[in-house]
Amino acid sequence: MTSEVPNGRVRVLSLVVEDHPGVLERVASQVRRRGFNIQSLTVGPVAAGRSRMTVTVDAGHAEVDQVAKQVDKLVEVIEVQDITDDPIVSRELMMARVDVPAHAREGFVARISKYGGQVIDATGDSVVVELSAAPDRVEGFLALLRPYGVSELARSGPVAMRRSSSR
Amino acid sequence: MIEARPLTRVMTGADMILAALEREGVDVVFGYPGGANLPIYQRLPEHPAIRHVLVRHEQGAAHMADGYARATGKPGVVFATSGPGALNLVTGLATAFMDSVPMVAITGQVNTSVVGRDAFQESDVIGCTLPVTKHNYLVTRIEDLPGAIRKAFHIATTGRPGPVLVDVCKDIQQASGVFEYPEAVDLPGYRPALEADLSAVGLVAKKLAAAERPVILVGHGVLLSGAEAELLELAERTGIPVGTTLLGIGAFPTVHPLSLHMTGFMGTGWCLRAVQNADLLMMVGMRVDDRVTAKLDEWAPRATTFIHVDIDQSEMGKNVRPHIEVVADARRALQALLPLVEPAPESRRAWLTQIEAWREEHPLRYRKSNGHLQPQDVLLEMYRRCRSEAIVVADVGQNQIWAALWWQFRGPGLFINSGGAGTMGFALPAALGAKVGRPDKAVWCVAGEGGFVMTAQEMSVAVEQNLDVKVVLLNNFSLGMVRQFQDDFYGGVRSQVDLTVMPDFLKLADAYGWKGTRVERPEEIAAAFDAAEQTPGPFLIDFRIDPEANVYPIVPLGKGLDHFQEEPYDI
Repeated sequence: MTSEVPNGRVRVLSLVVEDHPGVLERVASQVRRRGFNIQSLTVGPVAAGRSRMTVTVDAGHAEVDQVAKQVDKLVEVIEVQDITDDPIVSRELMMARVDVPAHAREGFVARISKYGGQVIDATGDSVVVELSAAPDRVEGFLALLRPYGVSELARSGPVAMRRSSSR
Repeated sequence: MIEARPLTRVMTGADMILAALEREGVDVVFGYPGGANLPIYQRLPEHPAIRHVLVRHEQGAAHMADGYARATGKPGVVFATSGPGALNLVTGLATAFMDSVPMVAITGQVNTSVVGRDAFQESDVIGCTLPVTKHNYLVTRIEDLPGAIRKAFHIATTGRPGPVLVDVCKDIQQASGVFEYPEAVDLPGYRPALEADLSAVGLVAKKLAAAERPVILVGHGVLLSGAEAELLELAERTGIPVGTTLLGIGAFPTVHPLSLHMTGFMGTGWCLRAVQNADLLMMVGMRVDDRVTAKLDEWAPRATTFIHVDIDQSEMGKNVRPHIEVVADARRALQALLPLVEPAPESRRAWLTQIEAWREEHPLRYRKSNGHLQPQDVLLEMYRRCRSEAIVVADVGQNQIWAALWWQFRGPGLFINSGGAGTMGFALPAALGAKVGRPDKAVWCVAGEGGFVMTAQEMSVAVEQNLDVKVVLLNNFSLGMVRQFQDDFYGGVRSQVDLTVMPDFLKLADAYGWKGTRVERPEEIAAAFDAAEQTPGPFLIDFRIDPEANVYPIVPLGKGLDHFQEEPYDI
C-alpha cells in the first residue's frame, strides 16, 4: 500500500481548511479532476472553525506541484504545505483483530509490547491490538501480527507535521 | 435627496436576496420561476429597480447573463428553481467557468426539512455545480443568507473571475431575519490580491531586451484586466509582435503592423510561423491550452525562454513550464514592466522583416470563384458596415472561427464567444444578454444553423424585451466543423452531419415575431444587410452559404503548429 508508486510522484500535503460541510468533497473533487489518486487522507478539527487535512497524493503523470496549486485555489482552503521533501514527523494509528487463544496471550502481549503495541480488548480467542507509530513501523508491526491471523484491520492513514515551523 | 436607508431591517429571506442584489448594483436578472423560488418571485414586483428577463429555458438565462457580463464587465445574475431548473444552468455555468466570466446564480432549493430525501424537484445542485463554479453555497440558515450573497459577488468578480452559485432552501426564503449586509467579507482562504508576485518583472525586461525573435501572446486576461493600452505601449516600445488567443481577440488591434492576429490551431499562418521560430515567448493572461499549442511537444520548438504572466498561480506550469513566472493581474504586471523595458534594438528589424514576409506568404484567403455564397463575403460586408463598432457574438464551429479571423476587432467586449467550453447554442442568448447590457451598441449574432436551433426558443425574449438583435445565420445545411474534420481527418466518412431537414428559418422568424430575409447569391448580401439595418427590432438573415466552405488555416488534429494547412483551392 505504501510504496508501489515511484516516490517522486507521491506528495504529502498538509492543509488547513475551513471546517464547513462539503470541504472534504471539494478537496477530493479537485484532486480527482486532475487525475491525481488519493492514497490516504486524514482530517480532524484543530481550532475553532479550522480543520487540518493530511493528504497523500499520487500525482500520476502531472507536474507534481500542480496538486498543491489546484487545491490552494479552493476558497475554503486556507493554507497548503507540500511537506513531501521537508523533515516531518508522521504517525499512523492502526488497530487489528488478531487470533490469539487465551493460553498464548501472555507471550503475545510481551512480544508486541516491545514494538509499542497494546492490547485494548480481549474476548474469546481474539484480541484487538493498537499501535500508533511512523507508517513504516506500522508496516513492520503488521508483518509480525500476520502469522497469528489478522481477521480485521483498520488504519487511519498518516497524519504529519513539519519538524520545525519555519520553512 | 435620497433618504438614507437603515442598515439593518427585519425582512424575509426572499427580500434579503433582492435587497442584496440592489446593494450590489444589480439592475437585471435573467431567470425562470418555479416551485422552490416562488417566494423570491412573489417579492420581485416590490423591487422595480431590478429588471427581470424571463427566459424560455434556464440554459438561455445562464448564457444571457454570460453575454451581459462579457459586454459590460459587470457580473451577470441568474435565477432558477430547484432540480431541473438549476440543472439546466449547468452548461451555462461551465461555459462561464471555462472563460472566466463573472456570474452569480441564485437557485431555489427544497425545504431544509426534506433536503437529501429525494423531495419533488430536488437535486444535489451543490454537488452538480461544484466542478463548474468558482465556488458555491448552500444556505440553510437565514442568518447566513446576506453573507453568502456578499461573498458570492466578491468571489465572482475578484481575482480570476468566474461563476458562483448560491442555493437557497425555500423555507429560508420565507423565514424572517435581520438583514445586515456586510461590507467586508471574511474569507481566510481566498485572498487573490495577496498572491500577486511581481518580483520577476526586472528579469522579464532584461530577457525581452536580449531576445532576437520575441513574440508576445495574449489572452482573455488582458481584456478582463483592461490592459489593452499597456499592451499596446509595451509592443510599440519594444517592437515585439503580438498574437492573441481566440478569447484574447480585441486585446490588440489586428490592423496594427505588429499584430500577428490569432494564434492556435486555427490561427493565421504568419502567427504560427512566428511562434514556431520565436526564441522568446511571453504569454499574458492565458492558459496556453491545447487549442493554442496543438501538439504540445512540437510547440515553439526554438524558444529558449518562456515567460508566463497570469493572475492564476495554478496556470504556471499547468501546460507549459515557464522559465519566468509573474503571478499577477495582466494590467498590474504590464504597468510594473513598462518603466523597465528598453526600446527595440536595431537587430530586431530582421525578425519583423521575416514576419512581414510570412504575412505575405500566408495571407488569410478563401475560395471566391465557385459561384456559391461564401461566409467570408458575408462577414466582410458586415464589417464594412459596422467598422468594428458593433458587438459580435459568435456561436461555436466554423462560424466562430470565420468571425474571429475576418473581422478586425479593436477593443474589449466586442467579440464574444464560448472559447473554452465550446458551447453550441451560446450565441443567440449571449447576444440578447449583451444587448440588454449595451443597448447603445449594435449587436450581431453570428451562428450556424446547428447551434442556432439549440437555443432558438429564446427568440421570444428578443420580442418581449424589445431587443434589437440581428442574426447572421451562416446556413450550410450541415454541422460544418464536424463535417470538415470528417472530410480532412477521418477519412472522408460523413457521419451524422447532414442538417438538410431543418425549419424554414424565415417561417421560424415569422412565428416568433421576427423579421427576416434570405440570401443565396453574393449580389444579394448588401440588400439583406440594408434590410436588417433599416428594420427596427430583431432580424434574421438566412445566408445559404457554400456547403463545402471550410476553415483555414487549420492544423490537422494531433499535429504540431508547423503542419498548418491553408485553403487548398485556387482563389
